[in-house]
Amino acid sequence: MERRYTVFRYFAYSLELLLLFILQTTPRLLPELFGSKPLLLLPAAITISLLESELPAMFFGMAAGLLLDFGYSDNIGFFTITLTLSCFFIGLIFRDYLVISFFNATVFLFMFCTSLLILYFMFSYVFVGKADVFYYFSHHYISRIIYTFVCGLLLYFLNKFLYKNLRDT
Amino acid sequence: MRDFLSTKSAKILIATLAVILVVAILGATGNPWVSSAFGFITNGLSSVTANLTDGDKDYETLKAENEKLKQDIADLRTQLVDYYDVKSENSRLWKYYKLKKSNPDYEILPASVIRRDTNEAFYSFTIDAGSTSGISVQDPVITENGVIGFVNSVNATSSKVTTILSPDLQAGAVDKKTGESGIVTGSAALSDENKTAFTKIDANAKVKKGDIIVTSGIGGVYPSDLILGKVTDIRYDDYDAAKYAVIKPFEDIKAVTDVVVLTDFKNKGEIKKGAD
Repeated sequence: MERRYTVFRYFAYSLELLLLFILQTTPRLLPELFGSKPLLLLPAAITISLLESELPAMFFGMAAGLLLDFGYSDNIGFFTITLTLSCFFIGLIFRDYLVISFFNATVFLFMFCTSLLILYFMFSYVFVGKADVFYYFSHHYISRIIYTFVCGLLLYFLNKFLYKNLRDT
Repeated sequence: MRDFLSTKSAKILIATLAVILVVAILGATGNPWVSSAFGFITNGLSSVTANLTDGDKDYETLKAENEKLKQDIADLRTQLVDYYDVKSENSRLWKYYKLKKSNPDYEILPASVIRRDTNEAFYSFTIDAGSTSGISVQDPVITENGVIGFVNSVNATSSKVTTILSPDLQAGAVDKKTGESGIVTGSAALSDENKTAFTKIDANAKVKKGDIIVTSGIGGVYPSDLILGKVTDIRYDDYDAAKYAVIKPFEDIKAVTDVVVLTDFKNKGEIKKGAD
């Protein structure tokens, strides 16, 4: 009973990830911005890890990564591994060294959304030698990074609300 | 570092990563239970949600249509409540019946789009039929308006489709009017406009705007005479000045919701003489 609110909070996070997966993959549900849609699960996992300690952060990162990977490739891959690792270390850093503030959240969100998406782009397009990579990056990927980041800011407020209101004192 | 590695959290992280890597390797080596297990969960969700946004109609159109339907229901009280669903389904199947009738060798399987990939450039999508329905990798995916793409990967209950807009698709093609042959393949710039390219054509080719491009059947992946699109422009490559034709498919690839998979046809898998 002592951890009742924590259980509710984790349940709310899980529900949030499922809803974001549905939003992200259902045709025509999310509006496109310059031909791109955001990867909502990516900032969701990062914002959860800002607020939680390293182990819950890692598990929610892994869950988001699994949904991202299975959303298209049906195989565990890039996002499962990188989000598991990233969320673990974000959780650790914010538990021990940094305070949770809007500024810190913005910096971390931007840093991780940008670096993970660029890294994914390198692995999926550049290293496999696909044609027109510069065109695709400039016409689709930059807008996708910005769109994902902006949605991440909204998700930060949502997750902070859940964290504040579903917390065992 | 040694202190960090000896913590409980670090040990759990390492163990979790080890499990992920093992499952990732199993998945990458083609072990079907990994993809089928997760596919079962995610496809279930997607099947439900895809139905919510089916069709290309916007809110106003749907609202107007809804009002009309309400009126019709009042007038046709004695009709069956699912009359319109049945009519629509009948019309959809009728088109495929005509396709089957004109091509008796086609084994066709209607399927619906349940998911579109957010992170992929060429509008690939997932359909609600997989290996249990008889679909296999490289099966052509079409509508009554022509080729949509091919099946890229299959699991038990769903399949991923690479579209005609992708550079990963390369189909032997022929200009129906002039008989000149080439390869149809996509590019990033053209895919934004729902267009693809008819490449590897002769510098003196007489391909013109308005010509219809169809599959050649060479290679055994696609049957011959499936419509790929109409020529909208003739261009020259920026790098090697090679001539190519821009093709607009008759179907809006970005918005397609119902497709047909050709699971079998005459000469499937047979490479004809003259193939690349």
